Amino acid sequence: MAGYILRRIGLAGLMLFGLVCLTFVISNVAPSDPAALAAGPDAGRSQIEQVRRDYGLDRPLHEQFARYVGDLARGDFGRSIATSRSVGTDIARYFPATLELVILAMLMGVLLGVPLGVLSALRKDGPADQATRLFAVSGIALPPFWFGLLLQLAFATWLGLLPTSGRLSVFTEPAPAITGLLLVDSLLRGDIALFREALSHIILPAIVLSLPCLASILRVNRSEMVEALRTDYVVAARAHGVAPWRIVWVHALKNAMLPTLAIIGLRWGWMMSSTVLVETVFDWPGIGLYAVSSAIAGDFKPVMGVTLIVGLNFMVANLIVDLLYGVLDPRLRRS
Amino acid sequence: MTDQLSRRAIVAGAAVLGTAAPGISWAFERDGTRKVLVFSGNQQVPVLDPHVRYDWSTRMIQQGVYDALLKYEGDPPRIVPWLAERHEVSADGLTHIFHLVADAKFHNGDPVDAEAVRFSFERGLRLNAGIAWMLKDFLKPENIAAVDARTVRFTLDRPFAPFLSYVPWWYVVNPRQVMANQENGDLGRKWLTENAAGSGPFRLRRFDANTLIHLDAVPGYWKGWPMAEGERLSGIIYRIIREAAPRKAALQRREADIITNLTPDDIDQLARLPGVVVENHKGSTTFGIKFNCQHGPTADINLRKAIAHAFDYDSLLAIHNGAATLMTSPFPASMAGHIDVPGIPRKDLDKARDFLRRSRFPNGGIELEYVHVQGLEDARRIGLALLDSLRALDIRVNIVGQPWPTMTSRGSRPETSPAMMSIYVTPVGTDPDTVAYQYHRSSWGLYYGTSHYENAEVTRMIDEARGEPDNARRLALYGEIQRRIVADQPELFGMVANRIWARRDYVRGFSFSPVRFTGEIDLYPLWAVG
Repeated sequence: MAGYILRRIGLAGLMLFGLVCLTFVISNVAPSDPAALAAGPDAGRSQIEQVRRDYGLDRPLHEQFARYVGDLARGDFGRSIATSRSVGTDIARYFPATLELVILAMLMGVLLGVPLGVLSALRKDGPADQATRLFAVSGIALPPFWFGLLLQLAFATWLGLLPTSGRLSVFTEPAPAITGLLLVDSLLRGDIALFREALSHIILPAIVLSLPCLASILRVNRSEMVEALRTDYVVAARAHGVAPWRIVWVHALKNAMLPTLAIIGLRWGWMMSSTVLVETVFDWPGIGLYAVSSAIAGDFKPVMGVTLIVGLNFMVANLIVDLLYGVLDPRLRRS
Repeated sequence: MTDQLSRRAIVAGAAVLGTAAPGISWAFERDGTRKVLVFSGNQQVPVLDPHVRYDWSTRMIQQGVYDALLKYEGDPPRIVPWLAERHEVSADGLTHIFHLVADAKFHNGDPVDAEAVRFSFERGLRLNAGIAWMLKDFLKPENIAAVDARTVRFTLDRPFAPFLSYVPWWYVVNPRQVMANQENGDLGRKWLTENAAGSGPFRLRRFDANTLIHLDAVPGYWKGWPMAEGERLSGIIYRIIREAAPRKAALQRREADIITNLTPDDIDQLARLPGVVVENHKGSTTFGIKFNCQHGPTADINLRKAIAHAFDYDSLLAIHNGAATLMTSPFPASMAGHIDVPGIPRKDLDKARDFLRRSRFPNGGIELEYVHVQGLEDARRIGLALLDSLRALDIRVNIVGQPWPTMTSRGSRPETSPAMMSIYVTPVGTDPDTVAYQYHRSSWGLYYGTSHYENAEVTRMIDEARGEPDNARRLALYGEIQRRIVADQPELFGMVANRIWARRDYVRGFSFSPVRFTGEIDLYPLWAVG
């Protein structure tokens, strides 16, 4: 098992290096002049050249790459050319907001997707199954950007139930972070008013982010449960008089969860990258919004930094899923 | 089981919404007895340092927390004394002396003296970023002198008539605070990115570049406040909402009190809402379609003129629901020296065909690329109007939306600059040089120089006008410059769109000045009733 874990970590390291190469190449082949953009719209050549020198953009590409990789090895993501701030510091500042959003969206996806998948399987081809099928197809088909705007229109403008955007009201100045997750921090401090305010702001973006995830989990879980409920061990369990809830929720679901787990792992990584759209619509101050703002300004170091974090996150999530496979399936553990 | 689950889901959903809903604010906030106004726009403020960066949102905040020697006010814009109570200029136009007010103070209580002014201008020039381009070719740091505590002298290398028009954008920072936060000889650049060291009407309370900036009004502001003391605000929050729909919703719900960056359709809808006032003013941001004058088919002046005479100019007004004015010169009407250039092209298909016959493409049959900023709906629709107009000449138009960084990069060289590029330009001052210089040879490659327009005589006249101390002769030169530029047709001179904001009707003190950038307003005179 230890060898297996080490192999997977080694492979993840290689993939990460590949991602570094890819993001560096893409950032440098993009038809844009970051130095000219950073120097400002009216800047003359001397100003632009000064920015180029300050940020080492006047050096040959291979030299820039070697320096970038060297800096990354020391945990330094470089400096933003637009703001001069450390990209690592900025990511650390914005990541908790994204993490909080993704965790909540994932919880919504799993806690609703798995039971709805089970329900669909139990009511196969019945009205409930058809309804969840329609819901799942819509969930995957709806563009998050458009769906987000619709929710804003309905819940903020028409019903006036929830705020349009942001992480907190502009008048609220939160205390220094404990975990950086506002919902958690407010509970740790016993500040229920802040918790309610944070919750009111996170609900809509979390729903938008979770919907495709929920739909995928629902459909995969449904089809696996349908298969599981037909297996011999389920028939045997029924014959032995095992309680129906136990057959469904313990025996069948445990076996159906393996592919669902894989989907959860993939969707976790996918959600991290999807925050780019969702955070833009809801002005959610996370790394997705940070990446978009930087890309618009032609500021590539932050974009590269966020891409690496999202990539790393993808790899770690899949590694954890692989390990959980072993926990859930003793056959894999033995092999 | 299904019914039970559905009921539970509904109850749980309602509980979540019920728990969340009370956290919303519904009206403008009060801080004690005073009000806090919220202004919302789409653009962040990544760097607050007044000597490093400026754009509309950044400069609006900078104007709030800093003061300059002079300030632009009103429509038409005029320059009024601010930190300087008096200004003298020598007969040769080389020496400018500013006499400072006696009572100006930085937010930490330090006096705003001549040394602070000298330091600030020197810092701006030495950093060679942001605003430096305005003065760096005419003013050396060592030629700025603090004569005494209240007198600063600037000695220019050569006469530069637009000098005063740029001074309002050079904000004064507190040298003591800046140098106390210097790192590795950076003149406080890192620190001033997110902090302020100013003397303006507001002090910085909270700065989050991506989300909001909260400013507190300074109770004892040295200049005083334009409203009654009891009506002064507690502060102003600039809230960044990137999408137009939620920004509009925020105004409707009173989460914001003033908003900008509105689409023409939004404006019509908001104008009909009770309690909402639309501020609609003639701006100074010109819209033109820049032709590539050096490379490709549009290097042919007759083709450029044919396109300019084929275009349906009324479509520009229709796209903006009438909130725009057609250009009658390369200069916006609010600019000193503007003239209505006789014969500036309007739709005339006979003339267009005549010019086309004289071009290298007498029968059309070509395709031209029109590039606009990706996601900018007005510019895309103008492209469609162009496409429609040029059908009459059998010229096809390929409309391409590209990110701004890509556009500026392409436009930097004649070989890569597209045949036609839609560009909005806001002049940074009221001096005609700020617009005329776009057509100078030195502007090639900058975003407003993507035409790569060359006319040696025009370049010479622009240089001459910059140094001409006699105002009447200067204006005569600019009149001739405008005529010659129109004759060369380096761009299709389009329109000046109105500047539009929507605000709640309890907001008072809104003042417009066309010299400010697109969404920028002066925060200083704002207050609220009710």
